[in-house]
Formats: sequence, structure tokens, C-alpha cells
Amino acid sequence: MSLVLIALLPFIGAILPALMIRAGRNACALTAGSVTLTSLILLLSYAPAVFGGEVIQARFEWLPGLGLNANFFLDGLGFFFALLILGIGLLIIVYARFYLSKQDPMGLFYVYLLLFQGAMVGITLSDNILLLLIFWELTSLSSFLLIGYWKHLPEGRQGARMALMVTGSGGMAMIAGMLILGNIAGSYDLTVILQSGEAIKASPLYLPALLLILGGAFTKSAQFPFHFWLPHAMAAPTPVSAYLHSATMVKAGVFLMARMWPALAGTPEWFYIVATAGLVTMIVGAWISIFKDDLKGLLAFSTVSQLGLMTMLLGFGTPMAALAAVFHILNHATFKAALFMTAGIVDHEVGTRDAKRLGGLVTLMPITATIAMIAAASSAGLPLFNGFLSKEMMLYEASHTYYLGQEWILPVLATVGAVFSVAYSARYAIHVFLGKERHDYPSHPHDPPFGMWAPAGLLVVLVVAIGLLPQAIAGPLVQVASNAVTNGTAPVVDIKIWHGVNAALIMSMIALALGLLLLWRYGTFVALRQRFPRPEAKDIFDRLVDRTAAAATFVTDGLQNGSLQRYLATMVATMILVGAAGFFGGSHGAGTRATLPISPLGLIGWLLLVAACLTLVFFHHRRLLTLILVGVIGLIVSLGFFYFAAPDLALTQISVEVVTVILLLLALNFLPKQTPVAEFAPRRWRDAVLAGLAGLGVAGLTLAITTRDFFAGSISEFHLANSYPGGGGTNVVNVILVDFRGFDTYGEIIVLGIAALAIFALLESSLHGKASKRLANWVPETARAFDSHPLLLVVASRALLPFALLVGIFIFLRGHNEPGGGFIAGLVVSIALIIQYMASGFQWAHARVRVDYHAVIGLGVLVAGLTGVAAWIAERPFLTSDFTYVSLPVVGTFEVATAMAFDVGVFLTVVGAVMLALANLSRIGRLAETGGGSHPIASQH
Amino acid sequence: MSIGADIVAALPELFLAGTAIILLMLGVFMRDISTRSIGLLAVAALAFAGALIYLGDGRGTVAFNGLFLNDGFGDFMKVLVLIGAALTIVMALRGLEQEQMNQFEFPVLLVLATVGMLMMISANDLISLYMGLELQSLALYVVAAFRRDSLRSSEAGLKYFVLGSLASGMLLYGMSMVYGFTGSTSFDVLAQVFASQEDAPSIGLIVGIVFIAAGLAFKISAVPFHMWTPDVYEGAPTPVTAFLAAAPKVAAMALLVRVLMGPFGDLVAQWQQIVVFIALASMLLGSFAAIVQSNIKRLMAYSSIGHVGFALVGLAAGSEAGVRGVAVYMAIYLFMTVGVFAVILAMRVNGRAVEAMDDLKGLSKTNPLMALAMAALMFSMAGIPPLAGFFGKFYVFMAAVEAGLFELAVIGVLASVVAAYYYLRIVKVMYFDEPVEAFDKPVGSELASVLAISTLVIVLFVLIPGPIVDGAATAAEALTSAGR
Repeated sequence: MSLVLIALLPFIGAILPALMIRAGRNACALTAGSVTLTSLILLLSYAPAVFGGEVIQARFEWLPGLGLNANFFLDGLGFFFALLILGIGLLIIVYARFYLSKQDPMGLFYVYLLLFQGAMVGITLSDNILLLLIFWELTSLSSFLLIGYWKHLPEGRQGARMALMVTGSGGMAMIAGMLILGNIAGSYDLTVILQSGEAIKASPLYLPALLLILGGAFTKSAQFPFHFWLPHAMAAPTPVSAYLHSATMVKAGVFLMARMWPALAGTPEWFYIVATAGLVTMIVGAWISIFKDDLKGLLAFSTVSQLGLMTMLLGFGTPMAALAAVFHILNHATFKAALFMTAGIVDHEVGTRDAKRLGGLVTLMPITATIAMIAAASSAGLPLFNGFLSKEMMLYEASHTYYLGQEWILPVLATVGAVFSVAYSARYAIHVFLGKERHDYPSHPHDPPFGMWAPAGLLVVLVVAIGLLPQAIAGPLVQVASNAVTNGTAPVVDIKIWHGVNAALIMSMIALALGLLLLWRYGTFVALRQRFPRPEAKDIFDRLVDRTAAAATFVTDGLQNGSLQRYLATMVATMILVGAAGFFGGSHGAGTRATLPISPLGLIGWLLLVAACLTLVFFHHRRLLTLILVGVIGLIVSLGFFYFAAPDLALTQISVEVVTVILLLLALNFLPKQTPVAEFAPRRWRDAVLAGLAGLGVAGLTLAITTRDFFAGSISEFHLANSYPGGGGTNVVNVILVDFRGFDTYGEIIVLGIAALAIFALLESSLHGKASKRLANWVPETARAFDSHPLLLVVASRALLPFALLVGIFIFLRGHNEPGGGFIAGLVVSIALIIQYMASGFQWAHARVRVDYHAVIGLGVLVAGLTGVAAWIAERPFLTSDFTYVSLPVVGTFEVATAMAFDVGVFLTVVGAVMLALANLSRIGRLAETGGGSHPIASQH
Repeated sequence: MSIGADIVAALPELFLAGTAIILLMLGVFMRDISTRSIGLLAVAALAFAGALIYLGDGRGTVAFNGLFLNDGFGDFMKVLVLIGAALTIVMALRGLEQEQMNQFEFPVLLVLATVGMLMMISANDLISLYMGLELQSLALYVVAAFRRDSLRSSEAGLKYFVLGSLASGMLLYGMSMVYGFTGSTSFDVLAQVFASQEDAPSIGLIVGIVFIAAGLAFKISAVPFHMWTPDVYEGAPTPVTAFLAAAPKVAAMALLVRVLMGPFGDLVAQWQQIVVFIALASMLLGSFAAIVQSNIKRLMAYSSIGHVGFALVGLAAGSEAGVRGVAVYMAIYLFMTVGVFAVILAMRVNGRAVEAMDDLKGLSKTNPLMALAMAALMFSMAGIPPLAGFFGKFYVFMAAVEAGLFELAVIGVLASVVAAYYYLRIVKVMYFDEPVEAFDKPVGSELASVLAISTLVIVLFVLIPGPIVDGAATAAEALTSAGR
């Protein structure tokens, strides 16, 4: 449990500084410090066990279904890193107490710092790669807060965002890599994964997993080509830079590579990717670092370079190199943190970090200068300091490792890197502290208070101590850590100050000499560097972002331009494509049914239909013609129904066509007679092609489907067999409508009624407001006929009315057994009434028809509904029909079915719906007929 | 099964439908009743329906002659839908008043849409599926065009309607094909037929499935049927957009999962490619297109397209783990979306709604708490651990990896990298840019509490994942074990 506490304490304790800030800055720092110290003591309490080679574990179920358990473990490597994080964290807390000014919200700073610390410790102690991922991204988040802490600096924002973007993206890639890794190993527990290295390396998914995981590690540790974000994150306060960008966060990537070393390292892929990235980073980082005038920039790039060194060593894949990497991590943490702190002190006390404006500080701030120069000496790799020892190891490893089959490549390049690192370290020491004292410092330089230099001082004491007594002080720690990295295959650690004259020492000496030479001729090299183009990685990153944005704009503006037509075209095109893929992709032969011969009549009908449709397409902007053609098409379709022996459908179709055409005609009266032709020709062609293809597709499907048997038999048999015995009617269609599927019909008439009400509501609004004014001032486009109500038509229509109504009733009554029924009857009656409106004028007809069509619709629905309910009385389900035979004198025996009452409902609803629409159109018509005056005959009231 | 048992099985739906009608009558006949009261009653009804689902037993029952199915999967998704609907109605109350569109029909329509969603989720037949879907869609077409005096709103409603009708047409076309070749519309019968078929499914079936999938893809706004989303999100009044983005997405996704995993469960090979394709296309388009959006509602539209793509990764796996992933993802998506829209609804300057991303500038100074909540939501949407969004992504990606869809998972992760870019941009705008005019305060207790609830769910998920994860696991198990 206390193992978990090591990681959790900083999280829990993170609220304390925010609370304690009211008690003063000292109390605030003290609480933050004591939280860290408690964690550190807890960690150290495990030291005996860890040094004894034990691995301490703590396991908790969390999301077992996901393979995500809160498993923690502590081995040598975890101990080593946690020690660095907590130890340096403690020093940073002390340092920051003195570094931050009174205006800075210190409580918040310590909150963020502790959160970050907890996340870092969490990474080192996680035994589950998913848990590790969570802590990993938590460091990104909390570092975002820390880097952006000084909000008033614009470069702080830029830096924070880019840092989060780059490391966050890497983290995402790592998620994918970890998923694959866990999938190969069959577990997400590190302890399991580390034991299954062989299986992982043999898996075909090894390379993708490796690349993705390294993506995370490289971005976090600022390895080439992701090295550019780190220097830009340096706008943060110096304590943050010192902590995040030297000792801890940037080492998370290195830690991960070390952690995964047993599972991933040792393959050629690992060697060439990791070692190459490390090598390039080491050289490039060091080279840029030499020419940075901003002290923190200089240190930032030097950190990049040093991280490259560690990565390269891990990349070599040999236990000895891994040991060297571990040792260098320790050394680098000590001297680089000290360097950062001194840079902060200089910035704090002198007021600038520009190397060009500094120099000669050694007499003014002797303590700082001493600390800085010792740390710089270690960084340069001078003997007797710890940096020398690990750099020697690195050079030694490089000197006998083959790269691309060549022995000389690595030693030469490693020496080049070392030359540069000597140069920048020396520059930091010499250009800042040595030289002539100046008189134009922004403020008077002096040594800082004890609390500010003490942490750095403590670190350089370590630098020297390890440098002098490496085996005694660092030996055991490096041993357990490297044992953990290499799964116990690490050689026995025996670090000596003096190895005798060997290749590494010679390379070291060459580096020292050339590095100092470089600095001596600094001006020449600056000039030399200016002459070559320097690709600025940040610009490349920015350009990449801009390019992506431009591409995105192209996509969104091109596809998403707000045009409904384009959206429809896209959808239809997609459907054609996908449908075609399904059509041709399926394995199916030709149809199995025998095809029927083409009859001449059918062919003529088909040709007529095609011709009518094509004419309609070509003349679609002439609306009247379009309407006529629609009528023609409807007529051919209803003839088709006749041809296929479906008189009911044909009757229905014809009556519907008549009503529709008449209503549309009335509506068209008030609309422009032409559809404006403003279409763009290519778009017409696009639409034509799409429509053609869609038509072909539907035709193909129809052919494919009609030439084979359906899976299940047709349902016609059932209805034919049961129509008379079950529903009492011989007209199957009608029995289906009013009986078998009566519930559907009931729904349909309700929909019909609602549609009529909607037409009413829509037209009603045009009788008020702006629309009504426009209507009142409406001038018809075409001249009206002189005689708007021809006498002959008026007389004929009135004479016809009773007959038409009679026909309607006849059709209604015979419906159950012969073609007909309530629906058709309703339409026929409606047509009869419409003719009255057309012949005698709206006003005349309206004055005589005093029926509220709303009520008719309602009545229709009600009658149909009540018929259904009546079935309940007979304890039958809703809408069950019944029928009996009644004998009446004169008329004879006839059948009475409850379905008949239902049909009455249908009839009423249809009449009501059609007439409601008509009545409203007529109201508009009357409004528009400004003083029409011409009344038909018999204007007698 | 008796009619009584049928009614019990569909009690929450029936209750809600009845409530909607009663509320409509209240609004019509009690002239002085305020929209707020109707809205609150609607929320209470939704909560009660949720309680009915929670307390109801007899799970796994089929009612109304096999048209309606009650199961654990449906329960989980229904509760999500109800939560989404209730939260968005609560959020809308004040917005409606501010925008002078507080007609009482609004909450009634939303309740009706919710009934439709519940019906969709419980559909066990192609016909009841279509009924539920259309009930939902019709109500939503109307609310999208609710501001008839606004050109943008009317245009949005019209576009939504036209494209939605086309999609419904495709769906019906596909259904008729499937019916023609199986002789049934019942999911149970369909599943049996497919399970018993030895040879490759016939052409009519494949085309039918393609069309059904396309129709449903429209409803979840997956690429390439996403075209309506940005325009409708931007054009519709913000309270409507908030509603559109939350519950209907969950319901449509649940429906898609049920249809593909249920009756078509034995045809995984046929539809897996389709789902993989639309998942990839949605993730990529959602991520890339969002980069350049400056209108936050439009941004949320693309974001939702991307999220749907991620959720589909789970469905593409076609396994129980995949379904669980989808369920977890949609649950988390729901809370994230609701939270973000709470912030968007609070974006008002001098009584006027603003919706540009630049209006968020410096929010951390003018309203630190809201900025913090929004930042948490953005990080969650980007999928950065330890926020809930990460787990959503993780579940679906893991299911994909387990199903051997490595490429899909990797491309998905890369798409989420791009997506992270624009979520982080919002955080940057809020935290690092100089403040512009502050938003009106107070934002109102409704918005504040909805924002607080959703943010807490997102942040605390990592500590208390149980309710969502266990619920999703039960749901997935119920769905995948039933048909086999």
C-alpha cells in the first residue's frame, strides 16, 4: 500500500499549497516540500529490499475487463528514477521559493509542480502499461500548466501549446503501440510483457508496435526530428525548466526506452532507429547549442544533445551500453539541474540571460560562478567530474560498435558530438563568468540568498563526489538500475576513475582540444554558420500545420459549401457506388426464373412511359406542360395496372391522378408559369449522369430480383384463399384494405387527415400578413378568358352532379365484392364537387357548400375508429370485422359487414381532406380575384 | 402474450407518449402556462420514465407480437438517451426564453422525439425500427426549423428534412429488399434465416443491407452521409443543436448496433467492410475538417462526426468487446457533448448569443470555473488520459485490436492526434489569449448545474468507472448472447 502512496501522495498533497498560501510563502513551500519529503522517505524505506534485488508489487483491481489494473511495482529502475524525481523535486521546491517573486501566485505553482511530480513518479512505478499511459499523459497535462504558468509572456503560450501538441501526439501514438504490444503479450502488465521479449520480437506486429511506442518516447524526450519543441518550452520559469526539461519529464522518454529494453531492444530495427535518432540528436543538438545566446536556449539544446546520447546508448542494445546510459542519466540530472539553476540565478540577479550581454561575473558572484563552472566542467566531460566517467563509457561503447558494417562511423561521429559538447559547456562557463567585468548589466549582480544557491550547491557536491568516488557512491544504484533495465544481464558495475590510456580517453582528449579550439575561433564559426541555410524546425512544424489547415479548408469549402444539391448529389453518388459494389461484389449467377415474352401492348406502354418521362425532363421548366405530362404518366401507369389485371389499383390510380392534377392546376394558377433556368451546365450534366446511373441501378436490381424466386412464398395465396370466408368479400384488395390490414388503413386515413390540416394551416398563413397583400395586388401573368364561366360547362356540371354522386355511392357499395370501395368513392365524389368549383367559380360554390370539412375529416376518422372499438364489445381484437347476410324485401339478400362502416369512415375522410384543400385554395383564389364581378348564371341567392 | 403484458413491457414508452399528449393539451388549453413549466414537467416525465426502466423487470421480453424487445442493451441505451434528453431540455429552458422562442410545443416535440428514440432502441422488427426512427426524425425536423423567422434556422430545417427523407427512402428501399429475400421483417426470423443460410447471401440481401446501413449512417451522421450535420448544427437554434448532438446520436448508434449485431449478426463479413470504411472516413474527415472551423457549433458538428467514427471502430470489431466499447464511448460522448453545449449556451454577450471560437478568448480570466470545466471537456474529447474520453477511445481501439483490425486502430489513433489539435486550440484560446468581452453573468443555475454534472462525470470516471463500464458490459452481453 505504501508503494502506491509514493505516487499518490503528491496528488493528494497537491491541494495543500493552495490552502497554505494564505499562511505565507514559506508555509506554502514548506508544505509542498514536506509532501515530497514524505514520498521520498517512503521510497527510501524500500531501499534495502530493492538493493537486495527484490521487486515489490502492489496490485489493485480497477477495470479488469479492460486489462487495466492499478498495479504498481518497484524495481531497480523505478527506484532509480523515482529517487531522481523526488530528490531533485525537493531541491527545486526550495529553489523556487526564492526564485518566484511576490507577484507570482506561488500556491498555484506548487500545486502544478506536485501534480507533475506525482504523475512522473506514477510513470516510474506503474506495472501496467495502460496505467503508465495515464500517468504519461498526466505529465503532459500538468507540464502544460507549468510551462504556461507565466501567462504574460507570449512565447510561453506558443511554447506550451506546441509542447503539448507534440508530446500529446506522441502519447497518442504510444497508446496504439501499447495496445498492440499488450495484444502480442496477452497481458498489459509490464512484469509479464518484460518476460515475453522473445515472443514480441518474433511477432509480425513488432515493427508497428515499436514505431508507435518510439513515437511516444522520441517526442517526449525531444529526439530528432521532434527536438524542436523543447527549446520553445523554455519560456517557462527557470525552476520549471530545471525540473521538467533537464531532470525529469524529458527523461520520461528515455525511461520508457529503458523500461521496454528487455521487450524491444536487441533487434536490428531497434538498433538502427534508436541509435540513429540518438546519434543525430546528440550532434545536431550540441551544434545548435553552441550558437545560442539565450542561456536557457543554450542549456535546452544541450539537454537535447545529452538525451540523444542516452538514447543512442540504449539503442546499442548491449547490456554494457545500457549500464552506461543509466549512469549518464544520473550524472546528467545532477549537473544539468545545477546548470539550469545557475542560469536562473544569473537571470534573476543580473536581469538578462543573453550571453552577449554577460561576462566577467566571477568576481561579482563568486559562489554562483563556482557552482556553474563545476557543473559545466562535468558537462564538458573533464576528468574528476562525474560527466567525464559516463562520457568515457559512451565513447568506449561507440568505439567498438559497428554501424552499417563500418567500424569508424560511430567513433568519429561520437567524437564530433563530444567536441560540440565541450564547446557549449565551455562557452557557458567562459562567456558568462570569465572575461572582463562589464558595466552595463541591467541590474547590479551579486550572489543570491543561501536558499537559492544551496540546491545547486548540493548538486555540484554530488557531481564532484561521484566524480571522485564513483563506485562507492553511485555504484550500487547504477547496478540495481541497470540490472532492471537488462533483465539481470548487466555486467557487474565497477566504475573506476582511471581506465588507463585507451581509445575512449584519446577520443576524449581530442574532443577537449577541438572543443576549446572551436570556442577560441568562435567568431569564425558563427560567420560560417550564418552562411548556410538553417532549417528551423519550428517553422517546418508551423508550415505543416498551415498546410493541413489549408487542405482542410479545401475539403470543407469544396464539399461543404452549403448547397443542398451538392449534398444530395454526394449522397446519391455514394449510394450508387456502394450499391454497385454490393451488386457486382456478391457471388450470384443469372436469374433462375424463365423470362416472359414481350407483348406488343406492353412494349408500346413502356415506350410511351419512357417518352413521357424524357419529355418531362426536357421541358420541366414549363410548368403547365410538366403537369400535363405528369397526368399522362399517371394514366399510363394506371393502364399498366389494368394490363396486369388489377382494376382496383387502376381505378384508385386514375381518381388520384385526376384529383392531384386538378389541385395542382389550381395551385399553379398563383405561381409563375416557368421554372427559372439558372442552372449551371456542368451541374446539369452531373445530375443527368447521376440520375441515369441511379436509374440503371434500380433497373438492374429490379431485373435481378424479378428473375429469381423470393426466399419465402408469395403472400397472395393466403389472401385469395381467405378473402371470402374470412372477410366476406370477393374483392380481395378491398378486403385487405378494410379488413385484413384495416389497422394500416386506419393509420393512413389519419395521415390523410393530418395532411389536409397541414395544407389548411399552410394556406391559412398566406391569407394574412405580407402574403395576403401580395395576393390582393396580384395580376395574372396571362390574360383571363373573357367568359370565365362558360354557360355550357356550368349547365353540364350542375346536371352531372347528381349522377356523379350516384356513381360514387354505387362504387362505394359494390366495393366489397367488385372493384371500388370507400377510397375510390371518396375521390369520385370529390371530383364531382371540384367540378362545381371549377365551372361556377369559387365564390358561387363556396356560398352553397356550408359543410365544415374539418368536421367531415374528424367524423370519418371517428367512424372508422368506433367500428374498430365495436369489435372490443364482441370481445374481439381491435378492428376485427364481422359480417352477416340480411334479407330485405325487394332488394333481396345482401351482405352487411362491419367493414362497411369502416369504409364509410374512409370515404368521409377522403372527401373531407380533398375538399379542405380545395376550399382553402378557393379562398386564396377569391382573395386574388379582385372584384372579379363575372358571376355565373343564377346568381340568385 | 396478453395485451396487459405488452403494455407492461413498453410502459416507459407508453408513459412518455401519453405525457407528451397531455403536455400538448396543457399547452393548448391552459393559455397562461409557461413553457418553463411544460419543460420542467417534461423533464420530470423523462426522469420517471428512466425510473420505470430502472425498476422494470421482465427484461429480455418480446412484446407486441415480436415488434418490441426489452433487453439489457436497450435499457442501458435508453437510460443514456433519457439522461441526454433531460439534460438538454433543462439547458434549453433559459435559452428558449432568451431567444424568444419559448413556445410550449418545443418541450413536447422533444419528448416525442425521445419516445421515438426509445422505440428505435427497442425495435425488434424493421417496421417498428422505421416507426421509431421517423417519429424521432419528424420531431427533430420541426425543432431544427423552430425559428421560422430566421433564415438560417429555416434553411437548416429544410436541409435536414430533404436529406433525411432521402435517407429514410434508402432505408425503406433496403428494408423492402431484405423482406423480399427473407419473407420477414422480424429481427428474430431474420437472424434465424441468416444463421441457417449455407451459401453466400443473395444479391438482393446484400444490396438491402447496404441501403439499410446507409440510411442508418445518415442518422448518426457518418461520412459520407454527414453533409447535413455542419449546416444543421450551425443553423439550428443552439438549444436544438445541443439536443441534436446528444440523445439522437446515442439512439441512432444503438439502433445501428442492434441491427448489425442482431439480425445481421451472422453477416459480419458483409457489413464489416462498410463499417470499417465509414469509421475511417468519419474519423479522418471529422478530425481534419474541424481544424479550420471558427464557429464553435460547426466545430462541434465535425467533432461529432469524428466521435461517431471512433465509436464505429468498436462496432467494426463485431464482437462483444466491440459493442461494450461502443456503449462506453457513447455514454462518455453524451456527457462530454452536453457539457460543451452548456458552455456554448452560456456564450452570450450583452444578451446576444455569440458562437465564434474567438469569443472564448481569455475565458480563464473572465470566468475561471467555466474555463476549467471546458478545458477538462476538451482534453477529454481529445482523448487525453486520465479523462473519460481516453477510456472511450481505449475501449473501442482495444476491441479493434483484438479483432485483428490493427490498421483501423492505428489510423484511428492518428486521426485522434489531429483532432487533439483543435481541441487544444480551444484550451489555448481560453487560457492564453487576451480576454475579449466577458460573457453575461450569471449563466443561470440550469446551465451551471448541467455543466457541473457533466464535467464531474468526465473527470471522476477514472476513479469510479463502475456504473458506466459495468452497465455497458451487461448491455453488450445482453445483445450478443440473445441472438445466438
